[in-house]
Amino acid sequence: MDPVRPTSGWPLLRRVLWEQRRGLIAGMLIGLAWSASKVAVPRLTRLAVDRGVIGRESLWFWSGLIAAMAVIAGVFSGWRRWVAFRESRLTETRLREQLFGHVMRLHVGYHDHTQTGQLMSRASSDMLQIQGFVVMIPLTASNLAMVVAVVIVLFTSQPLLALIALAPLPVVNLLAQRFSRTIHPAVLAVQAEQAQLATVVEESVSGVRVVKGFGAEQVQAAKLRVEADDIRRESLKSARVRSTFLPALDLLPNLGMIAVLGIGGHRVLNGEMTYGEMFEFFLYVVLLVAPLRSLGMTVAFGQRAAAALLRVNEVFTTVPEVDDPPKPRPLPTEPPVGGVRFRHVTFGYDPSAPVLRGFDLTIEPGRSVALVGATGSGKSTVARLLTRFYDVQDGKVQIDGVDVRDLRLTDLRRAVGIVFEDTFLFNDTVVGNIAFARPDAPIEEVHRAATLAGAHDFVTQLPQGYDTVIGERGFSLSGGQRQRIAIARAILADPRVLVLDDATSAVDPSKEHEIRDAMATVMRGRTTIVIAHRPGTIALADTVVLVDDGRVAATGTHDELLATSERYREVLAALREEDVDDTDDAVPVADPASGAASDEEVRG
Amino acid sequence: MWASGALSDEDRLDREETSRVLRRSIEFATPYKRFIYAAIGFVTITTVCTVAGPLLVKYATDEGLGGGVGAGSVSALNTAVVAYVVVVVINYLAGRQQYLAINNAGEGFLRDLRVRVFDRLQAQSMAFYDRNKAGVLVSRMTADIESMGELIQWGLLQFVSAGLLLVFTLITLAVLSWELTLVVMVVLPIIVAASVRFQRQSNKAYLDVREKVGQNLSSLQEGIAGVRVIQAYDRQDEQIRRFHGTNRALYRSHLHSVRVSVWYFGLVEWVGVFAIAVVIGVGGWLSHNGSIEVGTVAAFVLLLANLFEPVQQLSQLYNTVQSAAASLHKLYGLIDAEPDVGEHPHPVTLPARGALEAHDLTFRYDGAERNALTRVSIRVAPGERLALVGPTGAGKSTLAKLLSRLYDPSDGRVTFGDVDLRVASMASLRERIVVVPQEGFLFGGTIRDNIRIARSSATDDEVAAALDRIGALERFEEFPDGLDTEVRERGSRLSAGERQLISLARAALVDPAVLVLDEATSNLDPGTEVVVERALETLMTGRTVIVVAHRLSTVRRADRIAVVDHAKLVELGTHDELVERGGRYAALAEAWARSQPTAG
Repeated sequence: MDPVRPTSGWPLLRRVLWEQRRGLIAGMLIGLAWSASKVAVPRLTRLAVDRGVIGRESLWFWSGLIAAMAVIAGVFSGWRRWVAFRESRLTETRLREQLFGHVMRLHVGYHDHTQTGQLMSRASSDMLQIQGFVVMIPLTASNLAMVVAVVIVLFTSQPLLALIALAPLPVVNLLAQRFSRTIHPAVLAVQAEQAQLATVVEESVSGVRVVKGFGAEQVQAAKLRVEADDIRRESLKSARVRSTFLPALDLLPNLGMIAVLGIGGHRVLNGEMTYGEMFEFFLYVVLLVAPLRSLGMTVAFGQRAAAALLRVNEVFTTVPEVDDPPKPRPLPTEPPVGGVRFRHVTFGYDPSAPVLRGFDLTIEPGRSVALVGATGSGKSTVARLLTRFYDVQDGKVQIDGVDVRDLRLTDLRRAVGIVFEDTFLFNDTVVGNIAFARPDAPIEEVHRAATLAGAHDFVTQLPQGYDTVIGERGFSLSGGQRQRIAIARAILADPRVLVLDDATSAVDPSKEHEIRDAMATVMRGRTTIVIAHRPGTIALADTVVLVDDGRVAATGTHDELLATSERYREVLAALREEDVDDTDDAVPVADPASGAASDEEVRG
Repeated sequence: MWASGALSDEDRLDREETSRVLRRSIEFATPYKRFIYAAIGFVTITTVCTVAGPLLVKYATDEGLGGGVGAGSVSALNTAVVAYVVVVVINYLAGRQQYLAINNAGEGFLRDLRVRVFDRLQAQSMAFYDRNKAGVLVSRMTADIESMGELIQWGLLQFVSAGLLLVFTLITLAVLSWELTLVVMVVLPIIVAASVRFQRQSNKAYLDVREKVGQNLSSLQEGIAGVRVIQAYDRQDEQIRRFHGTNRALYRSHLHSVRVSVWYFGLVEWVGVFAIAVVIGVGGWLSHNGSIEVGTVAAFVLLLANLFEPVQQLSQLYNTVQSAAASLHKLYGLIDAEPDVGEHPHPVTLPARGALEAHDLTFRYDGAERNALTRVSIRVAPGERLALVGPTGAGKSTLAKLLSRLYDPSDGRVTFGDVDLRVASMASLRERIVVVPQEGFLFGGTIRDNIRIARSSATDDEVAAALDRIGALERFEEFPDGLDTEVRERGSRLSAGERQLISLARAALVDPAVLVLDEATSNLDPGTEVVVERALETLMTGRTVIVVAHRLSTVRRADRIAVVDHAKLVELGTHDELVERGGRYAALAEAWARSQPTAG
């Protein structure tokens, strides 16, 4: 566990490239063969012109040689491309898999503070930047080799002419670099304006009732005109950048051609040089343009890839804070099992502002407890500590006498089953979703779990029954139906301890009783923690615990507390009012669940 | 090389559609025709310059260097060099101008397109928004137009100049030596055929990559968004395995798309060099015969690149141009869709007060099998409060929408003060009848901007007065930036109750005679609930109110209750009357009373 983070992503890239060294070296060698054949062509053409065309020797010999080079160049150019792209896509693919694997193991605390969209762009657009750079590695090697070879060939034949003809060419490289660097922010500015226009369009479309209701069409139309004009302005700025660089890039090689024609022509007239030699110069100047441009691009790509690597590396160097203990202990297996104990637990998402302060709670095996508390009282935090989504700062959490930190994560999470407030369904069949925890469960068990959860009846009425694909891109279910699938999922997992975290909050009050029946069935004989705020749900539990100010404030049955605790009545009344606006316990970020939801909106 | 757009078969336009798109585009481009003519002029100049270079080399070779054997004329050589300098400078200057001209035309065209599509969307009725998915409309205005932006920045210029270059080069070659041109033309069909084949294959490969990228992204998203469930059930390994599945499928799809391009780029490379061999062999032989000069052979070698590159570019652009045409086709379709709730040709201003009456209203949503409302007649007197109740989907919201002319009835009519809403001017309609939607929808901008949406001419004082009238001014003035608080900014997220207050303030700003409320199904936070209730009460005083009610408490406060069920008005009367009658309302009221939470 090294807390020091490297400040650059290059070690990461080096590791990945080392793994692919064979492919990359093969790509470079193939590229060299291609370069050699390309460099040979102008020289062969010179010989053909001097000896064949002008000297009237055999034309077919020379043109046959050039044709042979054509075959070599063709084969190796395709091959070079194949290897370069194969290797770069492999880098991208592997790196993305490693990233995903790492992210899946990162503690929930990390995910609570990181938006889904950010991690998505690490794994998609940043990976593309890196791929774009890796593909350039073998290509750049052969391009460099070509440039060096041509420079040597020209300087050995006509040093002075070479110097003058090649002088403008490094500028091509420089300009290409500068162009890439200048156009990038200009393009980003256009994209930013496009995003603003998209916002106006989105709000006008989704707020169409308001717009129509107040006849505000003109107001929105005026906003749109501003944005459309902004886009035009920024696009024209980027066009100006292109108009500055691109014609100049075309101009420079032509300057070389003029130098060759002027100086070379006079030398030919003076007999210091053959016509073929001059023509060779033309062809070399033309040949160099493409590799020089691409070298310039490589530099710019490299800079962008470096930034992407840095961001990706930041994720990789984040160490999972919740991990298996070095010496794990097993859970006792002899019944009764499922005892839960919180001992003097202190915890805060921000350690200086604890949510739980000396929280004590004991639940006997098989009993059920409803946690009731105002928003921010810490009742949902209790569930997060039990599953080790977070670790306590002081005190301990035990299951059947074992500290949760002494358990292997696998054992702990088999022992505790959670039904979350915001039901998450996977893009999978109903069976796949219910059997999520145990994919190999026999179908009868899946049906039994669904029946217990009160889901069987509506599932059999879906288009393909249990094989209907649900989730974001599948058949859409109501909140209550989703919740019952989630309960079935928990039942099939058969945990020692079941946590129902506000499992009914997303459900229309008139439909709540359907879930409540399912919950009552599941809770029978199983240790259950119910986090709830509707009286009907609270009443399901054997005991009600009022959580207030990070501690247990009162314990008893629902009726007892109603009768004896003023605070309980207050909290209950407040909870009823805020029913819909209820958000997570004081997690100090902008609600991660809503971040995920907005991603879905974008994709939908 | 920039990414070319791919095109699926259903997006391909037929001949007639293509010519319609072309006609409309010319019409849209008319304001920018000066830029377009300028662009064509400059592109022609640069193309001529590009072809002129090799021709000057030929002149220098044959006239200046005596066919490469050294016995030539210095002055002819110098002339060629000077001419070359001039050509290069002209090429550079015209090159700069062509970018500017083509972008000015293109970006102007797109700007107008954006404005006109949006204006037309705004003019459409609610029925239109029911028919068309919001996401599709947004992507027409954004992704579709943006992809054309790319075409304009790169493609259009390339398309025109590649075409011109190909033609000019062919003409030049033919004039220089038709024999040699014929021989070279043997190679050209190879590259044309290969380009066409490659274009088809790569289009398919690209569509496949795009699909796999989408699948991989949703697998990625599922893993990240569902990480809590995945960890809670210890299914990380399974999820990673699944992700590898889509990720490797994407990898294979990428490899396929590279494989498709590999043979093509190899072939292009081969053709480029092979053509030199042909020109040297055949051209050299022709020059031995004396039918052409050495300079012609040199010019051919240098011009060859102008022949093959444009073919490649055109084939790559083919898809982009086609998909742009497909986008334009859809956008013109939007612009050409006539709004079905429009302003009457001779609009009448609605009277300040009057009864709101439905006469035999029948309404059916587009494509629906059954009527949403059948022959509903009702009269709401000035100042009366009417509650609409009934099961979900029974038609009560539809009735509210027809009464405020968010839709026009299929049959029957709605009048206010005996004026048919369809002949009323839109401006006076929105002044008399205001709909307050149940969710307090906010637009980007400040609190003030959001209220002013209702009446853009309102002064700051009027906005403040509207808030004051509903008793919410102090609450918002307490914000750090007061009414200038940006509503979308992080940290200043408004609560549901505050959003409702803004919504009510909008209505207060308009000061309408009739208020149509769609009551929220959900409760508000306790702090604001009372404030919103009070604001609503103030707002309703002295106005005709029609409320789509979900709560018993709201219904109890109405003067009369209309029960809508199965598209019909089934009961109408006061609470006591209807309870006494023991019909549907009585049953509903009892069920309501039971389901209300009992605690507290």
